[in-house]
Amino acid sequence: MPSNTASSSSAPAGSADSSASRTKSKRPKYSKFTQQELPACKPILTPGWVILTFLVISVIFIPLGVVSLFASQDVVEIVDRYDNDCVPTPARANKVAYIQGVSDKSCNRTLVVPKKMKQPIYVYYQLENFYQNHRRYVKSRSDSQLRSVKDENQIDACKPEDDVNGRPIVPCGLIAWSLFNDTYTLSKNNQPLTVNKRGIAWKSDREHKFGKNVFPKNFQEGNITGGGRLDANKSLSEQEDLIVWMRTAALPTFRKLYGKIESDLEKGDTIHVTLLNNYNTYSFDGKKKLVLSTTSWLGGKNDFLGIAYLTVGGICFFLALVFTIMYLVKPRRLGDPTYLSWNRVPGGGR
Amino acid sequence: MKLYIVELSSQELVGAIQLWSLITPVNPASTWGPLIFIFAVSASKEAWDDYHRFLSDKIANEKQVWIVKHGIKKHIQAQEIQVGNIVWLRENDEVPCDLVLLVLLIHKVFAMLRLFKCGKKWTHTLQTAALDGETDLKTRVIPSACVGIDLELLHRMKGVLECPVPDKDIRRFDANMRLFPPFIDNDVCSLTIKNTLLQSCYLRNTEWACGASVYTGNQTKLGMSRGIAEPKLTAMDAMIDKLTGAIFVFQIVVVLVLGVAGNVWKDTEARKQWYVQYPAEAPWYELLVIPLRFELLCSIMIPISIKVSLDLVKGLYAKFIEWDVEMIDQETGTASYAANTAISEDLGQVEYILTDKTGTLTDNKMIFRRCCIGSIFYGNENGDALKDAHLLSAITSGSTDVIRFLTVMAIGNTVIPVRSKAGDIVYKAQSQDEEALVIAAAKLNMVFVGKNANLLEIRFNGLTIHCQNGKIILLSKGADESILPYACAGQQTRTITEAVEHYAQLGLRTLCLAWRELEEDEYLEWLVKFKEASSVLVDREWRIAEVCQRLEHDLYILGVTAIEDRLQDGVPETIETLRKAGINFWMLTGDKQNTAIQIALSCNFISPEPKGQLLLIDGKSEEDVSRSLERVLLTMRNTTSEPKDVAFVIDGWALEIAVKHHRKDFVELAILSRTAICCRVTPSQKAQLVEILKSCDYRTLAIGDGGNDVRMIQQADIGVGISGREGLQAARAADYSIGRFRFLKRLILVHGRYSYNRRAFLSQYSFYKSLLICFIQIFFSFISGVSGTSLFNSVSLMAYNVFYTSVPVLVSVIDKDLSETSVMQHPQILFYCQAGRLLNPSTFAGWFGRSLFHAIVVFVITIHAYANEKSEMEELGMVALSGCIWLQAFVVAQETNSFTVLQHLSIWGNLVGFYVINFLFSAIPSSGMYTIMFRLCSQPSYWITMFLIVGAGMGPIFALKYYRYTYRPSKINILQQAERTGGPIVTIGNIETQPRTMEKEVSPLSITQPKNRSPVYEPLLSESPNATRRSFGPGTPLEFFQSQSRLSSSSGYSRNCKDN
Repeated sequence: MPSNTASSSSAPAGSADSSASRTKSKRPKYSKFTQQELPACKPILTPGWVILTFLVISVIFIPLGVVSLFASQDVVEIVDRYDNDCVPTPARANKVAYIQGVSDKSCNRTLVVPKKMKQPIYVYYQLENFYQNHRRYVKSRSDSQLRSVKDENQIDACKPEDDVNGRPIVPCGLIAWSLFNDTYTLSKNNQPLTVNKRGIAWKSDREHKFGKNVFPKNFQEGNITGGGRLDANKSLSEQEDLIVWMRTAALPTFRKLYGKIESDLEKGDTIHVTLLNNYNTYSFDGKKKLVLSTTSWLGGKNDFLGIAYLTVGGICFFLALVFTIMYLVKPRRLGDPTYLSWNRVPGGGR
Repeated sequence: MKLYIVELSSQELVGAIQLWSLITPVNPASTWGPLIFIFAVSASKEAWDDYHRFLSDKIANEKQVWIVKHGIKKHIQAQEIQVGNIVWLRENDEVPCDLVLLVLLIHKVFAMLRLFKCGKKWTHTLQTAALDGETDLKTRVIPSACVGIDLELLHRMKGVLECPVPDKDIRRFDANMRLFPPFIDNDVCSLTIKNTLLQSCYLRNTEWACGASVYTGNQTKLGMSRGIAEPKLTAMDAMIDKLTGAIFVFQIVVVLVLGVAGNVWKDTEARKQWYVQYPAEAPWYELLVIPLRFELLCSIMIPISIKVSLDLVKGLYAKFIEWDVEMIDQETGTASYAANTAISEDLGQVEYILTDKTGTLTDNKMIFRRCCIGSIFYGNENGDALKDAHLLSAITSGSTDVIRFLTVMAIGNTVIPVRSKAGDIVYKAQSQDEEALVIAAAKLNMVFVGKNANLLEIRFNGLTIHCQNGKIILLSKGADESILPYACAGQQTRTITEAVEHYAQLGLRTLCLAWRELEEDEYLEWLVKFKEASSVLVDREWRIAEVCQRLEHDLYILGVTAIEDRLQDGVPETIETLRKAGINFWMLTGDKQNTAIQIALSCNFISPEPKGQLLLIDGKSEEDVSRSLERVLLTMRNTTSEPKDVAFVIDGWALEIAVKHHRKDFVELAILSRTAICCRVTPSQKAQLVEILKSCDYRTLAIGDGGNDVRMIQQADIGVGISGREGLQAARAADYSIGRFRFLKRLILVHGRYSYNRRAFLSQYSFYKSLLICFIQIFFSFISGVSGTSLFNSVSLMAYNVFYTSVPVLVSVIDKDLSETSVMQHPQILFYCQAGRLLNPSTFAGWFGRSLFHAIVVFVITIHAYANEKSEMEELGMVALSGCIWLQAFVVAQETNSFTVLQHLSIWGNLVGFYVINFLFSAIPSSGMYTIMFRLCSQPSYWITMFLIVGAGMGPIFALKYYRYTYRPSKINILQQAERTGGPIVTIGNIETQPRTMEKEVSPLSITQPKNRSPVYEPLLSESPNATRRSFGPGTPLEFFQSQSRLSSSSGYSRNCKDN
């Protein structure tokens, strides 16, 4: 009699062999990563959290704005635009001719200290509409030449101020060539006021970017003289005005440090500035300003950060308020399945 | 990504331009660096693959093989084998080239074909598209001419082998062999594929074998079937290409505008600026300098790093699929495999799935269930004929018909009995049906032990000639339509037809068994013709078929066997889930219509009446087909707006006519129909259907398991192979191979969906970050005299794309917007992927706007906070860059849905990394940014600025996100909320499916319908006019007019969805 023991659902005998040979295939290793099952935190935007976040942001930002604004307000700043006033009235018709001429360029300015200024007081010159960031200008320098004497012939980047009759210019390039050369002599209440011109450049620049034994050579000896001249006996690392100038500004309006006054100025002090108005900003309508400024933990006088913080904080507070009102007026249950519209459309949304 | 390549080469061009120092705004390294890095990465990946390919080639080429020369066996390397060499193989050896068997120890050899070994890494180039990669044993016999030759005689053997030009058909080898004296007569001996040993097969069950090599190297069947897989372009790639094109145009416009503005500024302003020293006169080409500079500045607008990120990420997706333990076939331990790593996001956009039936939906595990012998049904009571007492008693009593029936079951096949060590007989079969029959016969005491070696064994269409007791008997088995027409005149075939019908309705596979005694003369006469036919070189198969046909007449029909091919686990659930996800299913099968419909019903493919409706397209002539096609189309148009499952059924013949003559109508039908059953279709028709759907711009996925699905799989956008019992052919040709059909659900809903979402984020983010830095550069140019100065130094620009911004986003590969369970519960959510909701021009515009907004925030805050005495170039550049990096971190954090440790590490670690890298650069005296970062970080104003940038940049975006999340939520958001607030997710969608599950329980497979009650579908399928009326239903005429307007709107809707 036939045996009925073998279950009909069991695999046919023939397949056992073939499946065994296939079992060899690699079984993936189980790990949370390979299964994409790493424990995860899945935040959702609940009204509570979002409103709280905006509130917290506004609570942080508004005081920060106030503090920044106060810091900025604490800074005492005297700004004196002199480019126009320092051209004698008869020469004003043609300022460019005046500035390129050989007449006496000295000029006197008087500044009144509006508030007590604590030392150190920084003396800046401010140029406006001066594109130190122009591509032609910003590239025209040779860092290796500035760094060491060996490389004084590396002037490829410096065109068109690279050499004079085949002799390399040190420091070469448009930036150095256009060195700012107005000078200021300050006196307070008719007493000379020393402006310390040492330590105005970055220490790192003095020590590593400008060589101690690199001396100016053939500088400003070409056909056209650009800006200031350099003392050929002082190494580049000591030419701090040059070092400051060579830190190009990213914006067309910029201030560069001229020196530091290391004594306090009282309210009402008058400061006489005798300046030599040498630098030509007239051909391109640039402005020149002398700036005396104290500093705060945020830097110079700049209301932008404070105002921006107040604005952002205010907007966040407003948003928090709006969201709260929206939540109260029109509460919405999160994850309400009735919003799943495919439940209404038969046939799965197609 | 054609356009992308163009862009890459334009990057190279940019690199070339940069060498011209006049133009370059930045150090050449900033452009060359990332480019070199990217090429280095992809080149080293290629090199690594090549090296491994080389190693495996070398191993294959230098493998030692034995060849027999002048009667001496000697070792040579596999690459030295020449055509005509005699190769000697031992058991378990791999066949080095295509051989014709000459001598072997015993008369039969089983050559085991196995998966051609090609490492996963280089499958693309070695894709052996249609190579039979089965693990079944295949019978191989020596040619009749060589019978009796042994090894000693081998070297004296001389002969001629005529073989066809190399091709890749592994089922055909129509060659001839003639041996010269002293061997045998000068007879031409025909060779078939059965006499060959194909390359890469393994020799089993024989001690040794000798063969003459006929094809070597790349001319082997395997070598010929290797093809370079055409790279498939995913829908998303196409979209990204489009967007890249748009950005490219935008870039050109920006360059032109700024170039003109720059030249104007130069002539009006810069000439006054003596310190710039513009020469008064300049050659004409100076005009080009500024535009070219801007081109260089803007070249980063198209992120080249996207290529590297995408390669990495796609590779990881593929790995995730392979690693997935839930997609391992527990029975065989086969893990899923992604042969094509590049198209995983397409999985999430599938709109049509075309599936094979046997082996794909079903297990392909055949079990003999019922039979009908004479006119008696066995196994109807308990569903298992083997336990039917009537049958058992009929066997014991020795009823002739039953014995004959069992004889045909047992020996009318190509099954090879193998005696295992324990003494049991194990059957090796190429056909699952035959195996089931033999096993069943064995259980019914008709044990098939072996075949006589002298038997001329031919097999065609289940036809075997067999000698028994001196009588020659023709045993025949086959489908009813191929057997019943040849029944002997007197026999009533009605019961048989009824039985076939009945079984087919139960979803069983039927075979008719028949028998005829042959006269000696008839047989001999036929034998001559057969030999003649089988030595023909051209059209041999056809000729043999024709000859065999001649014997098949006056058959005595013994009965019908019914074999159950069970559905795979989880098939109905899978189909239901995927259909809810908006994917349309088409079933393409070579099976009978009734069987196909039954299987379709039992696996939720179609719903029974009244919910479902089947429309039949048939007809043998063009007019018939055209008429029924039109009728179906009309019904289909009218029912699109009803919540009804309408499916059409078409057979291969009608399909051919429909596609040939009424392609437009058929295409419309294809668009309208969510479900279709195509039965009796050939492999090329399957491919044709895929092609039709593709031409309508649908994303198609073809899934199959057998060699007949290979073409369809290759044709489809995504080919999925089931590494099933019919061999690995399909799995090898496919882009993805999975073990069971039910893994398809996970493949699409989990892997496809995540891939799509992640990639949508990744690519848009890549554009965002590149645009961000580009916009800042553009803004800066307005305050630097439109001269093309770069605000950022070269190091930063180079590192920005490659390091600072690529790491956090790479971790988005493990981001999950919804948990897998939620997706499975709400498969409809896949609609977002299908319709491309997460990456399209409007989402892209959102990212574009975001980058513009962020650029404005960073730029405005930076230039105001760092004005006056702080406006140093390097510092300002670094402040702006840090602002970008901070925003990046928060943008990624905001877009991340689930934070794992890795996400936190990469997002915040990247921020730390940014400072570390910059501190390092700031410590090098010769670098341009020496001490800059130290200076900045020691200033409170720097940190205050950063917080401001983050607050101002993220606040509005966060608010907007919250607003949309809460008040204009997408379905994804709702599910996220539901899932994370932990509330019970009860949806009406689930309730809606309740009745369907009920129906499933009473699905026709498990209930035996009363014989006299006609099954639901039958009237629908018949041609009778009242059936047609019934299919329209009672209220149809009314609906006909009502639904006109709805039709147009709904069809418009479906197209609109696609466009979104």
